[in-house]
Amino acid sequence: MNALLTIWGKQLRKMVVHPEEIVGLLIQPVLWVLLFGFGMRGLMDATSSGNGQGNYLTFMVPGIVALAALGGAIGGGNEWLTERLRGFVKEYLVAPIPRFSILAGNTLTILTKTLIQALVILGLGFLIGAQGGGSPIGWLVTLVLIGGYAAGFAGIALATASSTDSPGGYHMLIFILNMPLLFASNALYPLATLPTWMRIIALMNPTTHLVSGMRGVLFENGAAFAAESTLPLWTSLLAVFAFAGFGLILAACAFSRSIRKV
Amino acid sequence: MTDRQTQKRQTAIEAVSLTKRYDKEVLAVEGLDLTIEQGTIYAFLGPNGAGKTTTISMLTTILRPTDGRAMVAGFDIEKEPDQVRKRIGVTFQELVLDDALSGRQVLEYHGRLYALQLSKRRQRISELLDMVGLADAADRRTKTYSGGMKRRLELARGLMTDPEVLFLDEPTLGLDPQNRAAVWEHIRELREAGTLTLLLTTHYMDEAESLADRVGIIDRGKLVAEGSPQNLVRGMGADVVRVRGEGDLEGFCRQLASFEWVETASTEADCVLIGVDQGSRRLAAIVESAIAAALSIAEVNVSTPNLGDAFLKVTGREFREE
Repeated sequence: MNALLTIWGKQLRKMVVHPEEIVGLLIQPVLWVLLFGFGMRGLMDATSSGNGQGNYLTFMVPGIVALAALGGAIGGGNEWLTERLRGFVKEYLVAPIPRFSILAGNTLTILTKTLIQALVILGLGFLIGAQGGGSPIGWLVTLVLIGGYAAGFAGIALATASSTDSPGGYHMLIFILNMPLLFASNALYPLATLPTWMRIIALMNPTTHLVSGMRGVLFENGAAFAAESTLPLWTSLLAVFAFAGFGLILAACAFSRSIRKV
Repeated sequence: MTDRQTQKRQTAIEAVSLTKRYDKEVLAVEGLDLTIEQGTIYAFLGPNGAGKTTTISMLTTILRPTDGRAMVAGFDIEKEPDQVRKRIGVTFQELVLDDALSGRQVLEYHGRLYALQLSKRRQRISELLDMVGLADAADRRTKTYSGGMKRRLELARGLMTDPEVLFLDEPTLGLDPQNRAAVWEHIRELREAGTLTLLLTTHYMDEAESLADRVGIIDRGKLVAEGSPQNLVRGMGADVVRVRGEGDLEGFCRQLASFEWVETASTEADCVLIGVDQGSRRLAAIVESAIAAALSIAEVNVSTPNLGDAFLKVTGREFREE
């Protein structure tokens, strides 16, 4: 436990001393919200039912929160990769600490970074006009959803970072994931209007479930934009938790394989 | 007094047939046997890639051996690795210092990782910073440290937890002579101070000669010779004359044996190593004989025998320092 807190604490401190990394990761989501959100709003609002229902910004913000969460995971995985390649891991390995706490400490760091990213985007969204706001329970559910989503990607990022030996390979893999995650989901457009094949893919995308859950509890259902109906909340929670489990197990396997290789 | 003597006779590190094989083909370390007494300094000397770092990695529980076993500080490296980890300090060849932290923070963090109490940490940190002469620079980020300062901080880090055994992997790699001397001095002080056992790896002959009580020469994964630096070069004469050239080296060798001032004569690779009583005196006679034996001489030099010569004798290859 001590080791876990020490590792986590050290990485948090580095984050505080060098906020550039977090700021850098935020640039992409912020631009999405500002440019795409405002840009598309005019078009979308004009084509919607046109009686004040329909605020594309509100509709879109949860998806960008997901993107921001992914960015946090990427950054954290990168940190782990750097530590591995520069031999820092050896210091952990010769210390009398449980091997598990090395992984857990890094996972917590990623979760922290991801949550911060997500909350910043959420805050920004509300600030510039997304309509919403939910009950305290709603916020709690949101945090749980984001946390689970983040944990899943934290796991995938750490698993990738444990398995490659080059920064290039790591980033390539992550960038490949980036686009489909956003576009093959209901983040930017409602599920109802998607062709069947895409809807099926979207339902398997954890992003869809995060977005749907958030819309339900925080955003008044995206102001019922274009008759979007959210999935049942329990489905979303289940899906997100399953994803979290998958990601973390993947990370644990890759991690134990990598330290045995060393 | 007798207590200390008995303690000294305890074995700090013991390895039997330690082996590491990669991918069923590459034998990084093969059948290594080792017995290191507490309170002594032992050096693994060998060229790069000889298997020194792999051996250390196994002894410090980073790598699992493919075969064989080892005990460090009284505990089995495979069965009770955590007990081993609690009692050892390790410094690495690649400086694993976090750029963004200050020297003091590096030590503090290390202490916390090993669950040292706050007061003990503070005490150790100030003692060690004084010892390695980094008290002034302690609060600057390690990014600003010179190579020598980094190595000294690394040494302090390895000692933070007051280990029974300290492993040093290439402790003066890349340092200029002045800094090397400073690190050597610290290492010697450590040995004087108590019952700390030190195992270092190096590819610098002078480092092994100057620091170690015993040296183990490692080549291609095997321990090929072992002993005190003096013993390893014993029997090679007071001076060694090396003649490098082409021709009937074996014949020349036999001829030399007839001179009574020649202690040993052997051929290794393209060299003839001649152990004599006084090189400068015998040089002329040797060169004369070489010419008479129709050797085409490329190079001749005289020196007191060093571990490089011992290496050449044992492995048949030149010892190349980087």
